[in-house]
Amino acid sequence: MNHKELIASMAAKLNAPKSVVADLLDTTVTTCTELLVENKTIGFQSFGNFEIRKKEERLSVHPSTQVRTLIPPKLVVNFKQSNILKEKLKDLPHHD
Amino acid sequence: MIKDKISSQEVIDLVSSKAQVSKRVSEDFLKVMISTIEESLLAGELVKIKNFGTFKLQWNEPRKSVNVHSGEDILLAGYYKVTFTPDVILKDLVNEPFAHLMPVELDSENPEPEQEKTNVILDPLRIFNDQASEIKDLLSEIQSLSPKEEVTVNTPVFVPTPVEPIHDETDYADYLLQKELVKKPIEQEPKEALPEEKEVAEQIFEKEIVEDITPVEDADYKNEEVSSVSSFDTVEDVKLLPAEEVENNNNSVESPLPADNSDVEFDSSEFLKEIHPRRVLRFWIKILAVLLFLLVTFSGFYLFYPPVRNFTASTALGLKSSVLKTSEKVSMTEMFNTVSNWFTPKQKPTPIPVRKVVIAPKDTTYNDSVAGKIAVKVDSLQLMFDKKRVYKTFIATETVKPNGRLTIMAKRYYGSKDFWVYIYEANKDRIPDPDRISEGTQIRIPKLDPRLIDPANPRCIKKARELHDVYVKKEN
Repeated sequence: MNHKELIASMAAKLNAPKSVVADLLDTTVTTCTELLVENKTIGFQSFGNFEIRKKEERLSVHPSTQVRTLIPPKLVVNFKQSNILKEKLKDLPHHD
Repeated sequence: MIKDKISSQEVIDLVSSKAQVSKRVSEDFLKVMISTIEESLLAGELVKIKNFGTFKLQWNEPRKSVNVHSGEDILLAGYYKVTFTPDVILKDLVNEPFAHLMPVELDSENPEPEQEKTNVILDPLRIFNDQASEIKDLLSEIQSLSPKEEVTVNTPVFVPTPVEPIHDETDYADYLLQKELVKKPIEQEPKEALPEEKEVAEQIFEKEIVEDITPVEDADYKNEEVSSVSSFDTVEDVKLLPAEEVENNNNSVESPLPADNSDVEFDSSEFLKEIHPRRVLRFWIKILAVLLFLLVTFSGFYLFYPPVRNFTASTALGLKSSVLKTSEKVSMTEMFNTVSNWFTPKQKPTPIPVRKVVIAPKDTTYNDSVAGKIAVKVDSLQLMFDKKRVYKTFIATETVKPNGRLTIMAKRYYGSKDFWVYIYEANKDRIPDPDRISEGTQIRIPKLDPRLIDPANPRCIKKARELHDVYVKKEN
C-alpha cells in the first residue's frame, strides 16, 4: 500500500475528500518529523513508539580488503511496536 | 538527555492547531490512519507514507534458547514484527547534528600502531645488546686467530661491525670505504696513508688544521667545525644512533692505529710481518675493543639516563678551554693519546663532553650536522648568559622624559621590553630604583650582543625575566 492508496482508503473510511485527508496526513507527518528532530519520543497507543536512537561511532573492517573505516556516530529513527499490535500480529498465520 | 514522550493526544492537539481543524477531526483522522495502517499490515502489505517511511512486516524465525534458571532448552516461537524504515528525508532531518561527519578510511598500516611504539622504545636497547654480543664475538675471534691470519687482522675486525642494519647504499659505501682505508695503511707506506686518513672524518686531524689556521679562542666556531666534521652525510633514524656512533668511533679508532704503530716504532711496512708488532697489534685491538665497549656502555647511559647527559652538557661548557689546549698538540703519539682519551669516559680534560653535546638532541629525524649546530648555539647562549656582562660601548644616550620608563627604551632599541634589565645594569650607578627613574636622567643604551637580545628566542626572554625578578625583588 503506497501513499495514494493509503489516502484513498482513509478518505473512504472518513467520508472526506482525498485532498483534505492528504493535507491532514501531510501535517501529521511534518508534526511527527519535527517532534522527532527535537529528540522526542512519540507514542501511539495500540500502535507503537517512534524514538531517536544514537548509533555510536564504530570501526568497520572490509572483510576482503581489510580496509578499516571509522563510521561516525549517527541518529536514527527507531520504531517499536506496542504489545497490543504484537498480540494482533500473533494471530497472523505464517506461510512460507 | 531527557526524552520527552509525546502521547498520541498531544500529536492530535498539534495537528489540529497546525491544520486549523477541530481536535475531533484530527483525532478521528489519526485513529483512522493508525487502524488503516494496521489493517493493511495485517493483510500482509507494506505501508508507505511519503516523506515519513515504510512500515513492513518482518517474520522472525523460531529459535532455540535456554531457560536461564533450569538450563532447559526452550523453543521460542516465530513471530511477526512491524519494522519501520524511515524515508531518506526523515533520516537526514533527524541525523542533522552528525551530518557533517564522514566515514574515515584508516591506513592499512595502522592496525599495529602500539607494536610499532614498543619497537621504537626497545630498539636502542636491542641494538645495544647486539653490539655487546658482537664485541664479545669479536674478542674471541681475535684470540682464536692464527698468526698467519693476523697480518690481515684489521679486515676481520671490521666484518662484524655492521651490527646496525645497513639501510642505505650510502651507508654501505661508507662502510666499504672504511674497509679500504684500513687496509691501505698496512699495504702502503704510512706517510702516503696519512693524508687519506685525514679525509676519513677523523676529528682530531681536522681540528688541528683548524687550529693551525685560526688559533683564535672562538670556542663556538671550533665546536661547529668539530660537529660538522663528525657528521655523517645520511640522515639517520634516532634508533640507529648508538650504532651509528659506534661505527663513527670505529672509524676514528682504527685509522690512527696503523699509522701510529708504524710511525712511532719503525716507519716501515715490512716491519708488520715481524712477530713483535703482531703482538702489539693484537694488544691494541684488544684495548680498542674494550674501549669500544666502554664507549657503548657510556653512550647507552648517556642516552637513557638524563642526569649523565646534564652533567656532560654542563662540563662541556667549562672544558672548552682545555679542549683547545689538547688539540694544539701536533705529534702523532700525543694525538693517539687524545684519541684513546676520548674513549675513556671518566677522563675530564677531553673533548668527550663536546661530542656528547653534539649528539644530545636526538629528537625527530636525526641529522648530525644540524643537530650539532643547534647544540652549539644553545650552549654558546648559555655561556653568554653566565658570562659577566660588561657595558663599554653604547649605541645611544637617552634623557628620561616625564613618565619615561626603561621598558619603553628597551622596546625601542632591542625589540622587546623584557630586555630593560640590561639597560638597568649598564646604568645602575644612576638609577636608584628601576621602577621610578627620575626625569632628566641620562640613560646610556648599551650595545649588546644580538644573540643575547633576540626577541624571537624564548631563552633570551626567559633570561631577561629571571634578571627582572632579581632586580625587582632586590628593590622590594
